[in-house]
Amino acid sequence: MNNHLSEDQVTEWMLGTRDDFVSRHLEICRACSVAAEELQSAISCFRDSIHATAQRDNSFWREQQLAISEHASARDWYPLHWAWVVAMVMVLITAIFLTRPPNPPQNKATEDADKVLLQEVQGDLAREVPEALAPAVLIAEERNEILTNKEQTKSTLKKRREMK
Amino acid sequence: MVENEQAAVLIPVQEKAGLGMTALDDFAPLVRSHQQRIYRVLLGMVRDSDAAETLTQECFLKAYQGRASFRGEASVGVWLLKIAVNLARDHRRSRLRQFWRRLSSSFEDVADLGQRLPDPHASQERVLLGREEVATVWSEVQKLSPQQRAIFILRFVEEMSLEEIAEVTSLKLGTVKTHLFRAVRAIRQRLKGGRAGE
Repeated sequence: MNNHLSEDQVTEWMLGTRDDFVSRHLEICRACSVAAEELQSAISCFRDSIHATAQRDNSFWREQQLAISEHASARDWYPLHWAWVVAMVMVLITAIFLTRPPNPPQNKATEDADKVLLQEVQGDLAREVPEALAPAVLIAEERNEILTNKEQTKSTLKKRREMK
Repeated sequence: MVENEQAAVLIPVQEKAGLGMTALDDFAPLVRSHQQRIYRVLLGMVRDSDAAETLTQECFLKAYQGRASFRGEASVGVWLLKIAVNLARDHRRSRLRQFWRRLSSSFEDVADLGQRLPDPHASQERVLLGREEVATVWSEVQKLSPQQRAIFILRFVEEMSLEEIAEVTSLKLGTVKTHLFRAVRAIRQRLKGGRAGE
């Protein structure tokens, strides 16, 4: 027999695809059946080696179950931890507000003094000349008045002389 | 058994509390019935017993945390395998973990796993040949992409149907078959090459 099965045909057979032609060929062709069996045997050995390696004693599985159980219960509590933290912060904020001393009551005298001060400030703002310069303004006004009087006197005397 | 476990997982936590049960009580039988299979698949995928042990725990913890999202569209077994395959894929992605894996004393070498053949009564020649073949398959499986490796292990170690594998990997049936075909062909070529060199 010259025509052997192709790589793809043997692979398909290995994957479980049962083709009549391939099955018949494997029955009569020793080379192909040996190749297919060798592949199957290698993969079976591989499977058995993993199964053998994964075989652990009961204590291993029990310890793992225990570890999973412990971690799972810890994770169950994990969101609750955060809830506690949030609750404590809220309590702390509320406590700070509640224990803060109230504002001291303002008495009548203080209120009056405030009013007077406000009026003074408003008066200062409304004044044309600052308070400190008020005496200077008075002097200037008096001086102006004197000068005006002098000029009036001078003009009166002048008129009289002219009349004479 | 599996149906009861599935039903237990599907009961919301509040209802369980009302029934006087805790979610953890219901989860324990699920762990007992699936842990060996999950460990085996993870061992095949990461080839490290310590990592497989840690990932098995992580798989069940993830399942426990995400039990509310389990809709029951697939079986619990498929759901757990899906989590396990994703964890193994993430594990492989971590270069740092790979570094520590190489340093770890518990690292299972290809040859070590090849020693663990179950039939101690086989002939010496058969045992040697078997070990060699197992080592070759292991070495070739390690070269596969994580997805192809998962598909190969689910098919040939867990003997799952292609439809179940498609569910676990969230791939189309045709894609699963293509991945499997490539993996088997690569292994066959390697085995053929090894024999030709003898």
